[in-house]
Amino acid sequence: MIGFRLAAQRPPDPERITDTVVMRFEHIYEVDPNLMTEHTPQQSFPAWDTLRIVDSRWEHLAWMHDHFADSVVSGEELLREIEGEEGEEA
Amino acid sequence: MPTVTLSDALLDELVQICGEEHVFAGAAARFNRARVPSPFPVHRWDEFVPDAVVLPTSAEQISEVVKLANRERVPVVPRAGGTGLTDGAVPLRHGIMVDVKLMNRILELDLEDRTVTVQPGINMLKLSEELKPHGFIYPDNPASYPCSLVGGRIGTSGWSLIGGRYGHTRDLVISFELVLPTGEIVRVGDGGGPKVRKSSSGYQLKHLFMGHQGTLGIVTEATLELVKRPEAEFSAFYAYPSYLDAWRATGDFARSGAATLAGVVLFDEWKLAYLRRDDEAYIPQPESVKAVVALALYGNDDEVRASAKRMLRLGKASGGTYLGDEISQGDWASRHDRYATPLHGRTRDGQVVPMSWHCEDASILYSQLPAVREKWHAIAAGLRERFDMFDDWGMFAYTNGAFKPWGDYLTEIDIGIWEMQWDDESWAAWVDAKREIARVALEHGGSISACHGSCREGEVDLVPEELGGGFEVMKAVKRALDPNNVMNPGKYLLDRAYEEDAP
Repeated sequence: MIGFRLAAQRPPDPERITDTVVMRFEHIYEVDPNLMTEHTPQQSFPAWDTLRIVDSRWEHLAWMHDHFADSVVSGEELLREIEGEEGEEA
Repeated sequence: MPTVTLSDALLDELVQICGEEHVFAGAAARFNRARVPSPFPVHRWDEFVPDAVVLPTSAEQISEVVKLANRERVPVVPRAGGTGLTDGAVPLRHGIMVDVKLMNRILELDLEDRTVTVQPGINMLKLSEELKPHGFIYPDNPASYPCSLVGGRIGTSGWSLIGGRYGHTRDLVISFELVLPTGEIVRVGDGGGPKVRKSSSGYQLKHLFMGHQGTLGIVTEATLELVKRPEAEFSAFYAYPSYLDAWRATGDFARSGAATLAGVVLFDEWKLAYLRRDDEAYIPQPESVKAVVALALYGNDDEVRASAKRMLRLGKASGGTYLGDEISQGDWASRHDRYATPLHGRTRDGQVVPMSWHCEDASILYSQLPAVREKWHAIAAGLRERFDMFDDWGMFAYTNGAFKPWGDYLTEIDIGIWEMQWDDESWAAWVDAKREIARVALEHGGSISACHGSCREGEVDLVPEELGGGFEVMKAVKRALDPNNVMNPGKYLLDRAYEEDAP
């Protein structure tokens, strides 16, 4: 087993998304580092840790859904049903 | 550091009552219980530190502590989770803090009559986890769901995010036992036995002893409603090109008549601008998205699916754009995050600074929401212009009525505050701004608070005006039940009850 990979440690260069936001991983946004220079200096953060936090976020959300109901109904699925029903009516 | 002013003899008596391991006079135990998440003058922290902390394990111990406080004329301040957004659990006059966290057991689970009886220190998240194997939930769902406690929910008469479907704390607590300000232990409910939901016998004391912010006693046990665990949850987030479009859609959703509707929430343009800074759901949204409406349904699967289709048709008819399952489900599931996420705001030049989140809330009629929103943001802008430590994080309006969620809205303006910058001048400006925000709510026929309570510095000045003759009754009740003014003194202007000309 490989114990260390540079890619797991060093995040890729950021891509600019908006005037104040950059992105290093797909759909994972960061505040522009230029806005974090005076009061809250950024720390270097290993890539694997960012991805671990994002993955655990999904676990947290699933856990919270489960606190309140047995299942979660999909709006996208229902919208397809509605479109089908409207098609039949037409 | 403030010194403990309680005598050694009094501390010894507390130890005799609660046990040595449950009495704390050290700095850490006391300082950590001085504040709550609402804005706190950190530059004056010493003024709000209790003299001693006790963690009792029974109603009898609390009763003895309160009797001792009366004998010695020492303030007593109850504290549960300490998560309140007014300052009910902040000891304004020092004294003995009664922290109920060790009283956290489930005492009885009655599956036949559908009640659960608990001690005040239990948390709703843990309670729901215990109830799940039995097919029930206790649907009191504040933003502080992971950390607030049943005793505090009663003391503040809490507000639930799914209250439109299941009711708020006052609808879910059937009866409770409390220690009165003079030490007697009584049980209050609707009448009859502790599990009776509706009675017409005597005064309705349950409501009197809810929402008093710790000024009328300490809850020691509560019998709560058990609700069938929902088979299904549905949430939908819709984007709109203007606030007024979203406001009209909010009214359409709220008045739809769906019995499964748990809540509808409207986010304004300022909230969208705030979320575009660093929220993964909103950063990619096009600039044409100016406001968002979210809704949630709970119940049996067939009922939820039918209601959801009705809502989706309403959303389309109102000109909304469905934001997709990932945002709709993910954002709804993250509704408690504000209590767990480190927050930050921006200085006027855009630099990131650590800020605590604060929200001023009110009950505002649906028809008044657009006008109130303009005035509140103007107040926030004035603060930010004067002090580069406040940040307008936008507003939301949330259906407020239990079971009839269409008339008035829990309306909040979220303001980030760089608390390390507090000084006397900025604190005074903040208090003035809170008073102005409350004034706007009253001018538009609303209430100062739908959710948090209204006993903090600033807005509390307007409580007599809001309640009118009711405030005179409050003073009379306070003086009758707490003749020595030991139970959380200094709150809600109730010191006026002890002035010579008080009723």
